[in-house]
Amino acid sequence: MLLARFGLIAVLAAGVAVSPTHLMGQAGDDGVTYADLLQGLSDPASWLTFSGDYSGRRHSPLTQITPQNVHRLAPVWTFQTGTMTRGRGFETTPLVLDGVLYVTGSNNFAWALDARTGRRFWEYRRNLPDDLTYGASAPVNRGFGLLGDRLFMVTLDAHLVALDRKTGRVLWEIELADYHIGYSATMAPLVIDGKVIVGISGGEYATRGFVDAYDPETGERIWRFNTVPGPGEPGSETWPDDPEILARGGGGTWMTGSYDPELDLIYWGTGNPNPDYYGDDRPGDNLYTNSIVALEAQTGRLRWHYQFTPHDVHDWDSNHVPVLADIVFDGEPRNVVMVANRNGFFYVLDRTTGELLLGKPFTETTWAREIGSDGRPIVLNDGSKGCLPDPWGSTNFMPPSFNPELGLFFVTARETCATFAPQEPEFVTGRSTFGGVVWIDRDHWYSALRAIDVQTGERMWEFRYPSATMAGVLTTASGLVFGGDHEGNFIAFEASGGENLWHYQTGSRIWGAAAMTHMIDGRQHVLIPSGTTLVAFALPENRP
Amino acid sequence: MARACICASSVVRYGIEMVRMAMMRAFLMLGVSAPLSVSAQAGNPYEGDRTAMRLGSALYGTRCAECHGADAKGISGPDLTLLWADGTSDDHVFEVVRSGVSGSIMSSSSAPDRELWAIVAYLRGISTVSPFENDSGDASRGQELFSATCARCHRVDGDGGHLGPDLSRIAVIRSREMLVRSIRDPSASAAAGYRAVTVVTRDGRRIRGVTKGEDAFSLQVVDTRERLQGYLKVDLQEFTHEERSLMPEFGPERLSDAELDDVLRYLGTLRQAGAR
Repeated sequence: MLLARFGLIAVLAAGVAVSPTHLMGQAGDDGVTYADLLQGLSDPASWLTFSGDYSGRRHSPLTQITPQNVHRLAPVWTFQTGTMTRGRGFETTPLVLDGVLYVTGSNNFAWALDARTGRRFWEYRRNLPDDLTYGASAPVNRGFGLLGDRLFMVTLDAHLVALDRKTGRVLWEIELADYHIGYSATMAPLVIDGKVIVGISGGEYATRGFVDAYDPETGERIWRFNTVPGPGEPGSETWPDDPEILARGGGGTWMTGSYDPELDLIYWGTGNPNPDYYGDDRPGDNLYTNSIVALEAQTGRLRWHYQFTPHDVHDWDSNHVPVLADIVFDGEPRNVVMVANRNGFFYVLDRTTGELLLGKPFTETTWAREIGSDGRPIVLNDGSKGCLPDPWGSTNFMPPSFNPELGLFFVTARETCATFAPQEPEFVTGRSTFGGVVWIDRDHWYSALRAIDVQTGERMWEFRYPSATMAGVLTTASGLVFGGDHEGNFIAFEASGGENLWHYQTGSRIWGAAAMTHMIDGRQHVLIPSGTTLVAFALPENRP
Repeated sequence: MARACICASSVVRYGIEMVRMAMMRAFLMLGVSAPLSVSAQAGNPYEGDRTAMRLGSALYGTRCAECHGADAKGISGPDLTLLWADGTSDDHVFEVVRSGVSGSIMSSSSAPDRELWAIVAYLRGISTVSPFENDSGDASRGQELFSATCARCHRVDGDGGHLGPDLSRIAVIRSREMLVRSIRDPSASAAAGYRAVTVVTRDGRRIRGVTKGEDAFSLQVVDTRERLQGYLKVDLQEFTHEERSLMPEFGPERLSDAELDDVLRYLGTLRQAGAR
């Protein structure tokens, strides 16, 4: 009964029609099928893709841990990775299948762990070159993709690797792009039917972004969508007529996208144009940077796009997890995609057509106060008046969460104040090209977990953190929100009103990661990466 | 319910900061027409170059300040203003920024050479103090004044308190002007880790001290009795981050110009830690 309820919630939540025989989630020793992935979180024991399901909501149907008992949540085990994340955070989301956690770590370590104890089955460590470019300054990884018995991981030297999930042995690997130029890869692959979808990092270098689909069996590339068009291609009119500028136009794709199986569309966020702050040599909107693109899953062809920040000169990548939901908006049922953007606005778009339904600020940004009827921001402060969201943005890639029962979108909002001073960069292969400098006012630098009403964009509640936090969010159907902060606290809140119910000091900032949750041996576990550890929490075993 | 104060001084600082930023920006924009250029070579090509140092200050603020502090005097990362006093070279600092620090959270950088050199030039600029010489004043009288007035909170060669910064080699790392400012108007430049806080406990006790750490739920305080004490915010009636430093202002009525000279003469002798 309980399981059936979990299944029903998940199916409704995902808006995906699957047969009842799939409700229980049969993923097991034979590995994961596409049907298993379609079920999302309907199997309480599984978490099979970065956000838990294709919708990108990071909203679990689990209800054992509740607002009433969460104060009793306690660590069950801690896994020490033994590898330091220089400059960044431990950003992964573990996958769990059949009692085994599959975890990627910094510096392209990876492990299979016993979900009961945190003990290790195997460790994988990639032999990385010592002349990494972007991969050296952000040596992170956000997780595996999983299909059959294969785990898929991207690497800091811009490869895609398939591992045998039982041994950690490499089955195949392919190069995504040349890391010497500045490419790297950090995102968790998105696995759909017969395809592994990956994106690329490196928009701070003379690179050109893309989204790729690969054959899970062979590693053969099926399609590529370039986020910056080639000369003469649609979108090139928003750039100078200069192949060299297009070839280094940026537009990284370094966060996992979402997927609507019915529309067979992939939704993917794109990053900043290159150079980051210097836009004088790239007049125009610079499509498809700082956008969300809806791509046909079979071909990679662009169905529609929406650009959040035309001609960005503030490094406001739009590499966010797109959050899909089926809601009644303005009295009409709508299939939407939602994004809280680095530029300070919360957007609701029709995910079939790309039509903008709502665009409202969720931070105190002075950049723009509204989106015009043409869907473009009405920019009030291009930077000349100082005090814009800093280059890390009003939020960033840390996953948000959506609770469909409450209609609330939860996001870590950063309140920052930066002044940008562009300068023409030198283009040196393998060297970053930010194109200027930024002054960040550290006296105005904090953040908050905010609950946004998706109908109006209004803030329903917030919980303030003392500094500009980079932690992601998980919600559960029992009415909990799990967040975290820069000071190392892993924190639980009541979802409708924001009451802080519990916290645990992990000992290191929670940076870029969001929690995941699953059932094992009848106990709901919640996992959070922090520093060099992965910690699992559960209620005490002698619970009433 | 604990109540945090939002200090009025931050509003003032913010306004000043904006003016400073605007000036910096204008300055840099001028620099665009004559961009900095540099080739790999020994020594810092930007040594003393004020344009480069301003560029370096912005780069520092974006990439380094979160760990090393806006004033480079350290938060979770070390105080970088002490590097040159410890005998380091520009080349060595450049290499550390380029390669990162193995085993620590500090990553390597693939920024262009000129940006790293600009950061080095900026750090050296704020670290290098002119030789601390105070011709006037009497060092022994200054030492007596220091022992009577300052040593309760400041430590020198193992003696004195812990509430303020250790001054054992202050003459190497701070200029005379900086010290005059710190003595006459200490609230203007309280370093991270020495900012004043007052907490009021549930039972009404009012405790002053300096904040060593803070998160959403707790404060780590060294109180005026030098007791290290953590507080849960939920257990406090209130806590207030003070605008004023715990250190009293030593204006001319409290410390005459002659007495200030004596103290400075004494401080000018403090060049080496761990003499005892």
